[in-house]
Parts: sequence; structure tokens; C-alpha cells
Amino acid sequence: MKKQYSAGSTLLTAFFALLSVIWIIPVVEVLINSFKANSFVNLEPFALPNAESFVGLDNYIKGMTFGNYPFLQSVFYSLFITVMSVALILVCTPMAAWYIARVQSSFARIFYYLCLFSMIVPFQMVMFTLTFTADRLKLNTPYTIPFIYLGFGAGLAIFMFTGFIKGLPLEIEEAAAIDGCGPLRMFFTVVLPMLKPTLISVGILEIMWVWNDYLLPYLVLDRTKYMTIPIHVQYLKGSYGTVDLGATMAVIMLSIIPIIVVYIFCQKHIIKGVAAGAVKG
Amino acid sequence: MKKLISSLLVAVMVLGLMACGGTSESTESTEPAPAAESEAAATPETAPAEESTAEAAGSVYYLNFKPEADQAWQDLAALYTEQTGVPVKVVTAASGTYSDTLTAEMAKTEAPTLFQCGNAQGLIDWNDYCLDLTGTDVLAEMTTSDFNLTDETGAVKAIGYCYECFGIIVNTALLEEAGYALSDITDFASLSEIAHDIHDRASELGFDAFASAGLDSSSSWRFSGHLANMPLYYEFRDDGVTAQPATITGAYLDNYRNIWDLYINTAAADPTGLTTYTGDHSQAQFGNSEVVFWQQGSWEYANLVGETYGMDPANLAMIPIYCGVEGEEEAGLCSGTENCWAVNSQASEENIQATLDFVHWVVTSEEGTTMMAEQFGPIPFKNAKTPENVFFADANELLADGKYTVTWAFNHTPNVDDWRATVVTALAAYSADQSDANWAKVVEAFVDGWAYEYTIQNG
Amino acid sequence: MKKKNKTNDKAALNGILLRRPIQRCAPFFILPTFLAFCIGFIWPFLQGIYLSFCNFNTPADAQWVGVTNYVKAFSDAGFANAFRNTAAFAVVSIILINVVAFLIAYALTQKMRGANLFRTVFFMPNLIGGVVLGYIWSMIFDGVLKAYNTYLTADASYGFWGLVILVAWQQIGYMMIIYIAGLQAVPEDMLEAASIDGADKRQTLFRVIIPNVMPSVTICTFLTLTNSFKLFDQNLALTGGLPSIMENGSKINATELLALNIYSTYNINKSWHGAAQAKAVVFFLLVAVLAIAQQTATSRKEVQQ
Repeated sequence: MKKQYSAGSTLLTAFFALLSVIWIIPVVEVLINSFKANSFVNLEPFALPNAESFVGLDNYIKGMTFGNYPFLQSVFYSLFITVMSVALILVCTPMAAWYIARVQSSFARIFYYLCLFSMIVPFQMVMFTLTFTADRLKLNTPYTIPFIYLGFGAGLAIFMFTGFIKGLPLEIEEAAAIDGCGPLRMFFTVVLPMLKPTLISVGILEIMWVWNDYLLPYLVLDRTKYMTIPIHVQYLKGSYGTVDLGATMAVIMLSIIPIIVVYIFCQKHIIKGVAAGAVKG
Repeated sequence: MKKLISSLLVAVMVLGLMACGGTSESTESTEPAPAAESEAAATPETAPAEESTAEAAGSVYYLNFKPEADQAWQDLAALYTEQTGVPVKVVTAASGTYSDTLTAEMAKTEAPTLFQCGNAQGLIDWNDYCLDLTGTDVLAEMTTSDFNLTDETGAVKAIGYCYECFGIIVNTALLEEAGYALSDITDFASLSEIAHDIHDRASELGFDAFASAGLDSSSSWRFSGHLANMPLYYEFRDDGVTAQPATITGAYLDNYRNIWDLYINTAAADPTGLTTYTGDHSQAQFGNSEVVFWQQGSWEYANLVGETYGMDPANLAMIPIYCGVEGEEEAGLCSGTENCWAVNSQASEENIQATLDFVHWVVTSEEGTTMMAEQFGPIPFKNAKTPENVFFADANELLADGKYTVTWAFNHTPNVDDWRATVVTALAAYSADQSDANWAKVVEAFVDGWAYEYTIQNG
Repeated sequence: MKKKNKTNDKAALNGILLRRPIQRCAPFFILPTFLAFCIGFIWPFLQGIYLSFCNFNTPADAQWVGVTNYVKAFSDAGFANAFRNTAAFAVVSIILINVVAFLIAYALTQKMRGANLFRTVFFMPNLIGGVVLGYIWSMIFDGVLKAYNTYLTADASYGFWGLVILVAWQQIGYMMIIYIAGLQAVPEDMLEAASIDGADKRQTLFRVIIPNVMPSVTICTFLTLTNSFKLFDQNLALTGGLPSIMENGSKINATELLALNIYSTYNINKSWHGAAQAKAVVFFLLVAVLAIAQQTATSRKEVQQ
């Protein structure tokens, strides 16, 4: 059946088309300026590149080693930390949530309430002490920082998973238990598949958080060795004598492109995940 | 979702391989979780991971605060590691964040073993962490203790490893082209007249008087730090101030205004947009012979005569900053240092020894002294190389003529980064609209800001 | 009686079949998360409270000083200023973001060509990190203000409204998604009933739709409230709190919000570490009270409607 559109709706479409164009201007700005020589970014930030100011891919080449730190290294650490942290969260917290929902001991209940509580504690409350702890326990490398993300990100994940599991019918698990299925196998073959929608929601929320997080890795990571993309960008801005806006725009563009590509391919999941996550959160 | 995760994983692996190839840091990127100790050798941009680190007794971690010297230190550290097998890690804090970085790093288990403690305030903050250097080899190499910092018991807590001078760098070739000689500039009045004349004829001459007085963070310290030294120096001289004062009077701020007005009104840069001009911008202007005057220091010599700009040393001179103070014809350049090494007393014994050895090597070895001469000019050590830097020749000539040295009074500034930020804000507002009311804000930032930061610093 | 027995049986069955076996596997199921939670949250939290009563550089050299740090925190003009900024910012951004996000969501749930595309576009800024956003927008604002011979950090109001625009641009898309979900959940039969009763569009909106999306409103105001109180990255990258100006003999960073103020207090020097931690505790209490108060207030409203 063909949808009917009224004249008002066409007007609305036109209006929103205009608004959408305005909406993406900031990103287009970065794209434009990433092809311009440094001095032109400053002088005329809104002008399109012309014969004089166009430098091709120079900024991108320069951006790779800009600020005395290879950009790809930051990209690698960002990706590694994000994937490992989110994977760790998605493996560990559903198990903990299942335990909480099914065992209902006083320990489980207290742990659950502590998780709820942690959701309203701002990072500033724990950031200094977390830095010390992470340093002492050698959690200050990209390979160990996922453990911190598991700890600090557990609250939301446990809350969402527990809520979902409590809504699942017990009968399925009981039937499995009667068939002699042990808890480990039961979790992975029976419970986990049922959690799929929540896994996606939590996964997306946590990916967005970890990938864009600045302060936690900045404080926790050994800053003499490791940078992530947000740290890299901020370092370039706070940098000295060598502020090269053109190259910085190229670096920013490179950090945005993968996000936009992933977004275009998975936008349905992402938008659904956000909506579901928010309704429960 | 599965697809998403697996494709992400593939991406990580590919990037991991790229990162390995690009940086020779193979041990770090391929093994999933190496213990932090096993990757002891240096930041990615320095040396390849040293395989023999286990044998090395100690290691050095140098927290450097001079961004412009970063590369030289990285290279020197790599060389030292190559020769001795002792890992040396050099980390440079971004400008304006040195004290933050030091605070954060000192609280860590792998704290810097060698750091900068550039002034009396630094010593107050970090005295507990400064090793008494009395009797060390490196101290025995020194030719003067003028730049060293000692505590009240007389223990040497930090050694001034170089000294620097700053003033107004002049392109004498352009100055002559405009019809003047260096000797025409003897005080503020003559400087001002010449600068205004050049600025007025800029389009005809093809160059302007002053380089941009950028207030971007990469440039603003030239004015909130170095230029601010002029009013501070004269005030402290009059009042006989030798230690950090709790308050200042700002008696010479009118002179500060004189020179600042000259900088911003005889330059090609638009005074209303100074916050967007960077240090690089002014350097390029001077380096490309677009301007005659540039307020900078001896450390810029290498950049100017180096590949990028290739200036002829014969066309470079440094003159004192004149700002209309009585008797300033007799002034020399601003000479002093904020480059003082302190060794972390709370580091492990092996690391302290490794650090002392490294420092000793830097000031005695061929490579070390060469680098020091290139980067820092004359250094107060027996084996020092004579730098070819013409700015120091100017400084010495002025001294030989019996002129007085303008010492670095700004080393007394309390909570220095914050104080400077407030001054910069006020300066930028004043530059955009040069009214008396706005200047009053600069004075407030200077004088009240000092008193405030003093209480904060010591609070 | 019979019924009660049945539930008892069921609980017992549940206990034998599920509870005990899971409990036996506790080390596997809950220990990793619990351990990480203790290290990543509980321990730093408790230590944070303790250290707010101490002078410290590192936890190892902490010395108990009582409430001195709290006195110092409250007598700091910068903290009060940051509080005012944060409150003003929260009020403005909550209203702006929620109104605009709802309007967009409402329009997009009407019959419209390209609604999905628009939704995709509006949500996009959410995926970009705060630091990067701050950098992008500072360039844009400086470029625009250049035409008027001024710049972003020249005046506190530029920085404030700049931050409002940035955050609105970033978060409207997110809230829009939640509102769309809420709007789509409005029962069809209620809408049909309204149209049968002859309600016009406006009446339907205010009498039927809005009461039905109140849960979304609760969530969105809660999220915008906590987001604006916790805002840090964008604040740091856009203005870094500048301009810093002298006011009555004290220096304030005119566009600094609470989170950034805590961070920069810590960085003054060692003697301010305790005060920074004390500020953090105050900040936590404030956020907690606000969050709980907001939750109770709006959920009560939901029940009434």
C-alpha cells in the first residue's frame, strides 16, 4: 500500500531536510579544513579549499606522526581497549546478573543495590583514588585497563541484565535443570541466547562510552607510553609551538570516519539499542 | 551483532599489525598482556625495545618541560641506551601542563627520576623529592653554582644546567633596508619611532615591524611570562625583593603597557584576534623575513639558522627589551634560567645512580655536550662546547660594555600557569579594545592575581 | 491455602534445581565482576571519602586533618562560581534539549518522507566523543565570532552559550530516539478513540500523547540532568574554563563547570589534593540527591496520570 503524503508533510520534509544539512555542517567543516593548509584553517575556516589553500592528503600524512606519537598507535589502543572492555563486560556481567536474579542471597541483593548506587556516582568522586589503585595494581596498561572498565561499567550492565532476567520465565531453566543440565552449560546454552537483545543494547551503550571516554584512560593509563584517540586529540590541542590545525583536522576526520561507517551499517541496532537501554535505565 | 564484533576484532588485529610494523614495538603489540616491567625501554618514538634490560641495574625517567628540546632529548636518550644498555625514557609535558604532569607522575610507582625544579616555588613544592646533590660527580663538573638551587641548610637540591637569554631578536638586514642601523635603537623612544615608521611603510617595504604577538597557548608565555619580567624585574630591583613576595605593586605596569602597545600596533597581525595566532606563526613571519622584530630567546637560534628558514647568522642580533624605564639605555639582555635538574630522592637506589650517571654523561660526553651546546647554548660545565649562537655573543658584549643584566624575576611567580592564564585573558581583551578600562583589568590580573595565586599556592 | 503451598513448592523446586547449583558456581559467575567492581568502584569510593578528610599527595602519605578540606572547598570562589554555572547550564540545557528533541520526535513520527534518514542524521553527533566535539566547535565558534572581531574565550557568555549549543547538538538526537520509542508506544486504540471523539491534533497531543509519553519525559530529564552535571570533556575541550578573570580579589574561571573545577583544583598543587577530593564528595552528594529527588518527583507524577 502506498503511503499518502499531505502538502503539510512535504513542507515538513523540506524543513527537516534543511535542518539535517545544518546538522552535519560541523562534520563537513572538519572534512573541508582537513584538506587546507594550516594557515588557511585559521584565516578562513569556512572557505572551501581553493587552488592556493588545497594541500591534498598532506595533512593526513602529517597527522600520522603528529605530536611525536604515531596516530595509528592511538587508534590501535582505542580499538583494543574498547573491544576488550566491552567483550569483558558482556561476558562477565550477564553471569553476575543471572547469579543475582536466581540466587537472591543477601550478598547478591547487596551487590545489586551497590550496582544501582554506582550508577549515580560521578566519575570525579573516584577518579583520583582510582588512579592510585590502578597504578599500584599495574592496571595502567591498555591490556589491563579493561578490568577497570568492567568494574566501573558493571553498574549499568548488571542493572539491565538483572531486569531482563527477572522477566524471563523460570520454567525454561527448570526444565533444563531437570534434564540434568549443569549451571555452566545452562548459562551458555539456555540463558545467554535469550539475553541477545539486551546484550546488543548494553554492548552498544558500553562501546559508545569506552570509545569516547577521555578522562578515565587519561588518568589511569601510563601516559608516558599509551594514548587513545581522545587523549591524542586533546594532546594536540594543548600542544606547544606546533599547533597545526590542518593536521589536527585530518586526525579528527580519521577518528570520526570509522564511527560513521559503523553507524551507517549498524544504525538500526544502535538506535534500537539506545532506545531499549534508555527505557530500562 | 556477531558480525559487528567479529569485524571489529579483525580490524583490531589488522591495526595491531600495522602498529607493530610502524613502530618496531613488536613486543608490546603482539603479546596480549605483558607485565608492565617487561617493556621498560622508552616511549614508542625513542629506542627499539632493549632486549638486555634485565641486566641493567637501573633506569632513567626524565620528565622534560621544554617542548622545543623534546626531539633532541629523545635522540640523546636513545643514543645513551644504545651505548650503555640503560633504558632512558624521556617524556615531555605539553606546554602549560608541566606542573600537572609532574604532580600526576610523581604519585605513580614509576615516577620520574629526573625532573625540572626551576625556581624557588618549585623547591617549596618538591623539596621532599629533591635529592641532595652535594658531592655528586656531576656537581664537581660545574663551573659555577650561580644557577643552582639550595635549601636553607645549604644542600644543593637542583642544578642549573644551562642559562638562557631573551630580548628582541632583530633582522638587521631588513632594518638596514628600512634605513636604520642597530645602533639607532637605544631606548624605548627610538625603538618605538623606528617600529612605527616601518609599520607605516610596510606595504612599500614589503615587511612589517613586529611579528604577531599571538596569545594562543603556544605563544602567550612570551608575554605573560617573559615580557612580564620587565615590570617585575624593575619593581623587585627598586624594592630589594629577593624571595617570592606575597604581593606586588605593579609600579612599572605603564611601561609594560608601552611595550605591549608597540608590539600589537606595529605588527601585521590583527590585534583583535591575537588568541588565534600561534607561536609558529610568529616564528614563520620572522624566519621568512616578513618582519624585523620578534621577541624571543636564545633557544630559537637553531630554528632560525636551521634548514627550514636558513637565516644568515650575520643578519641576526638580539637587543634588550626597552619599555621606557629610566636608565634603560644601560640594560642588557634578560638572562637567567628555569632549567634546573632535580633527582627524585624517593626513587630506588639503582635508579638514582642510573640517573646521576646519565646526567654526568650528558655534561661530559662528546654527544651530550654537543647537543647541549646546540639546544641550550653555553652550559656551566667544564667540558662545555662553545655554542655558535650569536645571541649569547650579544649578551656577553652587552655585559662587557658594563650594562646590567635583567635577571629572571618571573621565576618568583606563584602558581605560575594559572597566574599567566589570567593575565593572558586580560591582555587579549585589552588588545581587542585598547581602552583604559580594559588596561585596568590587566593591572588587576597582574597585581590582584599575584596576591590571589600566592594564597592559593601556599594555601 | 492450596495456592500458597504451590508457590512454596515452586520456590523449593527453584532452590534445588537452580539456586544451589548456581550458588556453588559463585566463583565463576560473580567473582570476576565483583572483584573488578571492588577495585574499580567500591575501594576508590571509600578511599575517596577517607581522603577528603586528609592532606595527601599519595594515599600512602595521607594525614588526617578533619573537615579542613571542606572548609577550604566551600570558601573557594571558583567552586561557588562553578556551581552557579552548572546550575544555569543544567536548567537551560534540560529545557532546550527536551523541547527540541520532543518536537523533532513528534514530527518524525508523523507520516513524512525521509523520516528515517533524518533520524539517522540527528542521532549521528552522539557517536563523536566530547573532546573531539569540543575541538570542532571551538573552531566553528572562533570562525563565526571572527566576523565580529572577537573570539570564543573573550567573554563568559560566549563560552556558556557555545557549550549549550554543542551539548544540544550532541544530545538532541539521543533524546529524540527515546521520545520516538515513547511515541510509538502510545496505544493505537487510544488515538483511534480520540479521533472518533472528534479531538483535533492539538487536543490529541496534549490530552492523549503527552500523558502517555511521560515515562520517556522522566528518562530524558533524568539523563539530561545527570549529563549536564557530569559534563567534563566538552567543557575542557571547548573553553577549558577560560576566560579566567579576577573578581573581588579572587580568580574565577568564568566558564568552568563543577567537574572541571574539581579536576583543576587537584592540579593546583599537593596542598589542594584534599580539597579537590572534598569537592568531589560534595559533588557526588549533590548529584545523588538531585537524581533521587528527580526520580521520585517524576515517578509520582507518572502514577497520578
